[in-house]
Amino acid sequence: MKVMNKLSFTAVAAVVATLGMLQAASADTRKETRLEITPGGTVNIVNNYGSVTLRGGSGRQVLVAYTLHSDKVEVDESTTSDKLRAEIRTHVLSDPKPTVEETRVEYEVTVPAGVAVNVSTATAPIVAEGLSGDLTLSSDTGQITVRSVARVHVHVRGVTAPVSLTSVSNGHVEITSSGGEVQLVDVWGPKVWVGTTSGNISYRGDCSGGGDYNLTTHSGVIEVTLPETASFDVSARSVSGSVQNDFPLKDKPHSFYPSKAGSSFSGTSNSGSSSVELQSFSGRIRVKKQPSAAATPK
Amino acid sequence: MNCQQFQEVLPYIIESGGNEEEEAHLRSCPACAELVQDLEYIAQQAKLILPMHEPSPRVWAGIEDSLHRQGLIQEGRLSLLGHVTIFPPQAKSWTPLGWLMALAAMAVFAVLLINYHPQLPSAPPSAQNMSAPAPSTAFEGDDQQLIVQVSQQAPDVRRAYEDSLREVNTYITDAQQAVDKDPADAIAQQHLLDAYQQKEMLYQMATSRALP
Repeated sequence: MKVMNKLSFTAVAAVVATLGMLQAASADTRKETRLEITPGGTVNIVNNYGSVTLRGGSGRQVLVAYTLHSDKVEVDESTTSDKLRAEIRTHVLSDPKPTVEETRVEYEVTVPAGVAVNVSTATAPIVAEGLSGDLTLSSDTGQITVRSVARVHVHVRGVTAPVSLTSVSNGHVEITSSGGEVQLVDVWGPKVWVGTTSGNISYRGDCSGGGDYNLTTHSGVIEVTLPETASFDVSARSVSGSVQNDFPLKDKPHSFYPSKAGSSFSGTSNSGSSSVELQSFSGRIRVKKQPSAAATPK
Repeated sequence: MNCQQFQEVLPYIIESGGNEEEEAHLRSCPACAELVQDLEYIAQQAKLILPMHEPSPRVWAGIEDSLHRQGLIQEGRLSLLGHVTIFPPQAKSWTPLGWLMALAAMAVFAVLLINYHPQLPSAPPSAQNMSAPAPSTAFEGDDQQLIVQVSQQAPDVRRAYEDSLREVNTYITDAQQAVDKDPADAIAQQHLLDAYQQKEMLYQMATSRALP
């Protein structure tokens, strides 16, 4: 009997929970729209709360799918008559100001090849994957993730937004973040510039492409992990922090500043094709050798 | 008339007053009413300030560059002195709301830049304390204004700006002291420049966040 009661209670609870979820789901509104865009055009997206996911697509239309969680916001979409610019903006309708939850809109945007995208959010995370146009991404606190892009400019700005870039080939990368952590994995190109105030910076890759790699922070930690085959010329200095180098380097004949044990070093690996500049004010800098595949424990 | 239609004709409404339909929407929509009020206020303040303190062409170039990068304007929309170039109507490819937002952003950003004077300590602390965070949690002048601007945002956003502002002020102080100690130190100079760029970014982001 007790078992039966338990089962009944569980069943009722499950039904109530399901109804609740259905009710919540029914309050959400999902919409889709298509905006004409010319190759070389720009899509601007402003969405403070929720999320923005960008994916590479084909054709000449930007496909925008979004989910609204209340009727207190709407999405304004427009394109210019020459189809060079599309605007997508979350717009608050009601007064008094709705809650953050009510303002939340989730976007999934498919962007044709060669179209640039600018995204601005407050707390909404931004994910950009497989795009082939320039990216300008800005968020106060939302995670910014860029994956698998090539031959593009990637400009990222964040207040405390964590930033993660993976598989960026031949890119012009500029990241400015105040307190957010910046992680770069397999990112290379003619210019890779990262500046933070307190955010840690980690780079894992081979600094290839003969580019300029410049990582600067005030109090964050800079950690660079490179394979033995990497060809670069490195200078590292921390004004009041420490530096550590585990990488075999040849002395440079002329250095911008003299190596000083514990606070600065410079040197060349292989032919030194790329330039790597690491600067910290009070943070720690470390350059590590990536374990070779054979040495990596399985 | 909905909000989007109203905002497309907003510049004309502010300039010469709206028709009955537009005024009816204004009365019935608190969001648009607040927007109009804010824009009128910004326009008034900009008129008062700009003639007295014309910023250098570099400031306008910076604003223009920033607006370009954010995709708010296209090439040739602003002159170096910040005056909006008037285009014939048939050349218009930008919405009136876009113009208005750019003008509002310029006005707010110009006010911030004009009044921006970094607070540096008169007596530098000891080298051991160079990288210690500033103990004060209160902000003064423009920094306070920045915090007020983001105060309408979610609490964690406001906190992010407060923390970042505090940290970047420490960065500026540290870098300035390093430059004072050795004016020939190119790395210290670069740090100082980077620190100011970090602060500029915070101001730009806060300003754009404050726009409707």
